[in-house]
Amino acid sequence: MNNAIELRDVSWSAGKSFALRDLSLRVPTGSIYGFLGPNGSGKTTTIRLFMGMMRPERGEIRMLGKSVPRDMKSILARVGYVPERPHVYPALTVAEQLRYHSAFFRSWDRGWAKELMGRLQLEAEQKIARLSKGETGKLLPLLALAQRPNLLVLDEPTEGLDPVVRRDVIAAVLDYVSEASATVFISSHLVHELERICDWVGMMDRGRVVAEMPMNQFKNGIKRLRVADAPATLNGSPFTVLSRLSENGAGSGETWIVRGWEAPMRYYLETVGATLRDVIDLDLEESFVDLLRSSRPPSGGRQ
Amino acid sequence: MFESIDPRSPTPLYEQIAARVRVAVAAGELSAGNALPSVRTLARDLRVNPATVVQAYRDLAMDGFVEIRHGQGTFVQDVPRFMRDEERTAQAEKLVRKLLQDAARLGISAEEILQVLSVETGVDIRE
Repeated sequence: MNNAIELRDVSWSAGKSFALRDLSLRVPTGSIYGFLGPNGSGKTTTIRLFMGMMRPERGEIRMLGKSVPRDMKSILARVGYVPERPHVYPALTVAEQLRYHSAFFRSWDRGWAKELMGRLQLEAEQKIARLSKGETGKLLPLLALAQRPNLLVLDEPTEGLDPVVRRDVIAAVLDYVSEASATVFISSHLVHELERICDWVGMMDRGRVVAEMPMNQFKNGIKRLRVADAPATLNGSPFTVLSRLSENGAGSGETWIVRGWEAPMRYYLETVGATLRDVIDLDLEESFVDLLRSSRPPSGGRQ
Repeated sequence: MFESIDPRSPTPLYEQIAARVRVAVAAGELSAGNALPSVRTLARDLRVNPATVVQAYRDLAMDGFVEIRHGQGTFVQDVPRFMRDEERTAQAEKLVRKLLQDAARLGISAEEILQVLSVETGVDIRE
């Protein structure tokens, strides 16, 4: 089994206002997969589809090598899920919630749940209704982790949490991965958070996957070039030009965003008579923003 | 020791971690027999993927800088002097290349850089 999550040509729509069209995703087993996208791009909808909470109109979904929704029961026994909205009961105490949750999972690890409770500084007798946002933000990943899942699905797990809590949560997840080599699927619009920990990235925009590749490839392959004297059209270019803008005032200078760049490709530019002035590295956030811009139709709005 | 790790740099994190260890060995900051942090500890401290640390340690082991003893940890090897010198040279080259690249971006010539270097270091490096 090479992919922990696999979606093939999945479509789903909510009337005319929102649709996922021919969505394909592959989350390699053992990876920490960062799922990026602006708010409203379809990240949570995608997660709900593969978690079996909604049915696609078309397409095929597999998780942990099994078919969704047919094998959902055995899949869910091995998946730890932190939903976008809390799924806990305000009337219970932390300890009661843990006991309730544990009843659903044969793999539940009581010892570890207790250890995590200490590390994340949660009080067993505290009523859930009285937890702060940060405490709730720690309780949900605790519930998912203590299941000892093969796959963790985290939907914006640190949204709205302060930096200290965010670090505690990420540290607990990384600790589990060190020990259990599980697959982690984590959606966020906090790009910097994902930049450190993920080895794969998938990017969504407006209901489509605009990129999916290993983090290193993504970070190294997308560059901003400053080019002069370039012809209007490029033939047989070894890289993909995502966008071309002329620099203000400065003669024939242009700024390009390119994908698939490698250093020797500068010779290609020479053969078409262009001069390469500079190659600028982009971090994940800049690449993300540039990629989004180039993947959207030029002004004038939708479709 | 790993404070300088920068996730936003285009250099992959595992390369940055490995480079940091090589530099520490070359500079004598780490010596033979010293233990590196466990994968779990370093991943947690740096908040990076444990696989990233594993890859860094594996690369270091391949180059003969460390030895991975299963179940015990990762230990610095006795690195021959010539290898440490090579590492220092490699790092110096990298620094200078970066400096020259940044300078070119600002339109500063190599001649000007040399002049400033002379003044800053007090060493007359021009002929």
